[in-house]
Amino acid sequence: MGSFDFLDEVRRMNGRQLYYQVLNFGMIVSSALMIWKGLMVVTGSESPIVVVLSGSMEPAFHRGDLLLLTNHREEPIRVGEIVVFKIEGRDIPIVHRVLKVHEKENGTVRFLTKGDNNSVDDRGLYAKGQLWLEKKDVVGRAKAFLPYAGIVTILMNDYPKFKYAILAFLGLFVLTHRE
Amino acid sequence: MAPSKDILDEKPVKIDKWDSGALKNALDDGAKKVLLDIMGFKESHKLMNGRLFLCTVAIGFAMFALLWDYLYPFPQSRNVLLCCVISYFVLMGILTFYLTYVERGIFLVALEQDKARMEPDNKWTLQSSLRKYDDTYHLTVSFTDGKTQAERSTTISRCVANFFDDNGTFRFDLFQPVVRKLKEDLSSEKKMN
Repeated sequence: MGSFDFLDEVRRMNGRQLYYQVLNFGMIVSSALMIWKGLMVVTGSESPIVVVLSGSMEPAFHRGDLLLLTNHREEPIRVGEIVVFKIEGRDIPIVHRVLKVHEKENGTVRFLTKGDNNSVDDRGLYAKGQLWLEKKDVVGRAKAFLPYAGIVTILMNDYPKFKYAILAFLGLFVLTHRE
Repeated sequence: MAPSKDILDEKPVKIDKWDSGALKNALDDGAKKVLLDIMGFKESHKLMNGRLFLCTVAIGFAMFALLWDYLYPFPQSRNVLLCCVISYFVLMGILTFYLTYVERGIFLVALEQDKARMEPDNKWTLQSSLRKYDDTYHLTVSFTDGKTQAERSTTISRCVANFFDDNGTFRFDLFQPVVRKLKEDLSSEKKMN
């Protein structure tokens, strides 16, 4: 019996209270989700906050830095800007600096990127046969950063079990404690 | 109505006595039990239903946004997302308003039905508060006469230690008379007028 004492509180709830308990948990998740979606709408980027996962942009960005991105259609991409882009066949977007830009009259843009800390440009990282990036590959452009604020994300990525343990613990805590 | 025996025979409620939330819940449940199980009043779920409805709709908006964004990836889904986000935060505002001004700590609305079913129900409302790091439990009982709509209420403030033993076991036998007396006081006041 002893080890299940924390469930006593749940056992004393009626149907409505149990449902509210689930809703309460749902609202914590929903609030986070809606803040994220709201940021997406405001910044125009599908992923407005990213964490730098590699050291390829040192000394500008270190592993664990948090970046705020925007991706407004009307802002042109310029050399020297730091862009976050997706490559087909890779799960994780890359944060690198724009090295060369070609703009055409009809509005199409092609550009090349390179990591500050890498000795060669990114053509080796792109999909096979891809020489340039286009506007559709861009997730956003770095507008602000918070040093090391994303270190927890890195820890969670490196130790997935740690992540699941924390999530399970928090979920259980919210569901079993009333209000 | 005589108190049915099994209510008093139930397994005693044991809580962590340092957790003010658990203390309040145990006391609220106890007061509820007195009015509903022992006095046989009927619970009115309107207030709670209102809150559940607001929460459900809010989560509905969030889930819809999630689904829509999945079906029509971001730049396309922008306007729908914008609507959902605004609706969600407006609903959260309404929910806060509802909790502070409509529900305001009311945890039970009980209806006392007239025995002959001739007159409208009398309404009993229980409202409580227990501040964090404070050991005083405030319980307000309000009575609304079904016929005249006249409203009366009394409040008691008691130290929670009166109703829990050292181990954190809720002493319903000590708490019950307090709630009963509060109720009787209001009822007798009713007869005097």
